[in-house]
Amino acid sequence: MNKLKRLTETKYFMTVLWIVIIIALWEIFAFIVAATKRTPENILPHLTGIMESVMSDRTINGGQTAIQMVMENAAATLSRAGIGYVVGIVCGFVLALLMSLWKPIEKIAFPYLMLIQMIPILGMAPIINALTGDIAVSRVAIAAILTFYPVATNTLAGFKAVQREKHELMYSYAANKFQIYTKTMIPACIPYFFTGLKISAPMAITASILVDTLQGGIGLGCLLSQALKGAMTRYVFWQIVFFSAIIGILSFSVMGLLEYILCPYKRTSKKEKE
Amino acid sequence: MKLRRTMALMAAAALIAALLGGCGSEETSTKTTETTETTQATSMTDEERIVAAAKEGKVGNWGLGNEYEIQALLTKYGQSTDYLVQSFDMDGFDDGSITLASAMTYNELGLVVNDYEGGYKYGDSVGIIDMNDHGVAMLEDNIFCKKSFAEQNPNTVKAFLSASLKGWEYACNNTEEAAQIVYEAGSSVSSDHQKYMASEVAKLIKTDTKGNAVSDYGKMDPEAMQQTLDLAKKYIKLDDSAASEKLGTLTLDDIRDTSYLEAAKAGDFGTPEKTDVSIQLKWLPQAQFMGYYVAKAKGYYDEVGLNVNIVSGGGDIGETTAVNNGTVDFGVTWVSNLISANSGGMDLLEIAQIYQRSGLVLVYKK
Amino acid sequence: MTKRKLNFDSATSLLYPLIFGIVILMMWQCGVLHSIFRTDEYILPYPTRIFRIIIENFDKILENVNSSVFVIIIGLAAGSVLGYIAAIGATVSPKFGKGGLTVISAFNAIPIVAMAPVIMNWTKDVSSDAEVRSTVAKIIVVTLMCMASMSINAHRGLNELKPFSLDLMKSYAADNKTVFLKLRFPNSIPYIFTALKVSVPGSVITALVSEYFAEYRAGVGRQIRENILIAQYSTAWAYIVVACLIGIILFALLLAAEGIFLKRRKS
Repeated sequence: MNKLKRLTETKYFMTVLWIVIIIALWEIFAFIVAATKRTPENILPHLTGIMESVMSDRTINGGQTAIQMVMENAAATLSRAGIGYVVGIVCGFVLALLMSLWKPIEKIAFPYLMLIQMIPILGMAPIINALTGDIAVSRVAIAAILTFYPVATNTLAGFKAVQREKHELMYSYAANKFQIYTKTMIPACIPYFFTGLKISAPMAITASILVDTLQGGIGLGCLLSQALKGAMTRYVFWQIVFFSAIIGILSFSVMGLLEYILCPYKRTSKKEKE
Repeated sequence: MKLRRTMALMAAAALIAALLGGCGSEETSTKTTETTETTQATSMTDEERIVAAAKEGKVGNWGLGNEYEIQALLTKYGQSTDYLVQSFDMDGFDDGSITLASAMTYNELGLVVNDYEGGYKYGDSVGIIDMNDHGVAMLEDNIFCKKSFAEQNPNTVKAFLSASLKGWEYACNNTEEAAQIVYEAGSSVSSDHQKYMASEVAKLIKTDTKGNAVSDYGKMDPEAMQQTLDLAKKYIKLDDSAASEKLGTLTLDDIRDTSYLEAAKAGDFGTPEKTDVSIQLKWLPQAQFMGYYVAKAKGYYDEVGLNVNIVSGGGDIGETTAVNNGTVDFGVTWVSNLISANSGGMDLLEIAQIYQRSGLVLVYKK
Repeated sequence: MTKRKLNFDSATSLLYPLIFGIVILMMWQCGVLHSIFRTDEYILPYPTRIFRIIIENFDKILENVNSSVFVIIIGLAAGSVLGYIAAIGATVSPKFGKGGLTVISAFNAIPIVAMAPVIMNWTKDVSSDAEVRSTVAKIIVVTLMCMASMSINAHRGLNELKPFSLDLMKSYAADNKTVFLKLRFPNSIPYIFTALKVSVPGSVITALVSEYFAEYRAGVGRQIRENILIAQYSTAWAYIVVACLIGIILFALLLAAEGIFLKRRKS
């Protein structure tokens, strides 16, 4: 009994419990759907069915199994998302730096940054496509545009949050602007910067998948819309749904881990709080 | 204390689940009674079926430029042009939320009727309303390119047409082999469905809207083209008044040019100006486009000195935009889509008409 | 002196972006933008043409706007309320609840393109009227998207209290209800606004994307997609402009509400 109690008190127990509850609910509904619908796999397949389709070695397009196809397309999508993400981070950081260095830039750019967020991606895509002339480049560009905003705004917030005293202290040391930025401002804004990274990592992936659906070719989004259009077994669709969810969550946690590794001072401060 | 709370939460969740489940089964029971009603009325004419379905608002189409024939049909029988948006599977038809569902003879209809993987196994228990029979047929898959591209690269265009038509001819006469070629080229559709599709597509290419046999592949039948243009003018609704005005003034000469096709057939062309070309398909890789895959696999493109890249479609950037952008050189689209693109300001030119009759049907449960 | 400086400050923060916007608009209208982007007036139509389309089709556009805004508002409200309730749940029972919050934020990582068609399929039985069931499905998608940011932010607001304030309340022998009403809830208000600032633009985008997959043809997003597919870029642009306006107006309303609430709190 005591052992059981100790088990329930571990950190991961509750998360596991939640996962179990969700799986149970899913399966209950799956049984209902299977009993009442003609094509249950289109609405809510059993999780075992999805697992089976992952394991299955039956080829579905002249040579690849379902999971091989998903993986091949995922690699294309993720690499585009990755490139776009890095480009977006660099641009976002540079813009935040410029905005903090020169006030008018902040005033000009900030409202438009928000505006970009409001423009539906699908609306932008054909224009960016026309601009770059290459669908692959425009996919990267759109992922970059979407990651850019959270990084820029959060980093800017970080710059602003640096205490005035620190700034003045550096000033009294006769530090120049470059030194102030490299020694105080940039290290101080790193946690904020990471908040931006954490928000935009799943967004870059979502954007990349969404943009894939614009034109045929390779990519998770293409595969997703093909599977939805009934071009292949519906389990491919479910595999993509689960895969993209897992990747989205992982990307968030990887950024968290990176922050943990790169910002040792944040670690200690957290411990102190506790 | 905590345990009790958890229990309560779980109970609530279970209750919601049970409630929702109850609703689901209730819905299904009403549905079965509906189906029995419709099965009793088997001797309805097409017109009665169309009117009945339109009154209920249960005529389905995918929209997005595929709806004009359906709207023309509805208008013909005095109904409003509203339709239900159908997703790209036939689930809506299957579960009864759509009673008259749009289907392409070579694709969705096969899925409804046949019992291979992905099929709904209806067999003979469904009937179809054919657009060609009701005089509202509009021509579908063609080959087009930018007008300026054709003017600058006339030999490329002619060579491409010549090889593509040869591919189509071979494919239509050897549908099983063509289906296999498409399947191996990376189609995600099952090989059984590809075979079905290839044989149905061949019918659309070898018969015209009136049911007469066609031997002249790629021909742009003036009468059928004119009917397509007239219907397009009537049913393509554009919010942009400039585009809408332009649509009203379009003539056949604005959308097609027969000279390239004639020269290609006569074999009257020199070395291509541009040898690396690409063609954007209207949809996913499947036997709908088998002619190009066959021409590539059989080396017909190599024979005329072309290196052709086949770009699959199915995305949200239309083939007309891709060709107009210069991302690709040739495209496959429906004539109506080309008409609306040209009204909007693009300068596209149809150079061959592959499908000679409409492949769109409305499918219903008998 | 400080007041004048402040006025100057707020004036420029309005003036600079305005001037920038006008310059861009002029460049656009005069075709400079087209030569920079190497595109034609077809893909990037002139502002006057876009404006004319909006004026000419005002009724139709309004109809679509109504449909989208309805989904956005209801979804946003439902998502935020549910998110807040989840945050309260996680505060009341931290161990069980925190796992729940993780699960909710996991929903956020699922791409809308994957989620929207699934939800559309699940809501097929809600009503025999396609308009009703499409609207319900769209609202659910927006709700799920808004829940995550609200629950995480509200949870922070409910728990990151000022040091010792909780001990003070306890020393007053305040019960849980009082602690919530007097301490936790007021403390969470700024966090609510932070959450809404994320979820307002998010809900606009989500609503537009989920319209692509809906059965019933309505909404700004649907119009954008249909017009792009039939290659009517001028009309698509008109709807893009309208979509931006919806987002901007909602965001402005949010900022105004935040100003009113936080000011009252300060005084």
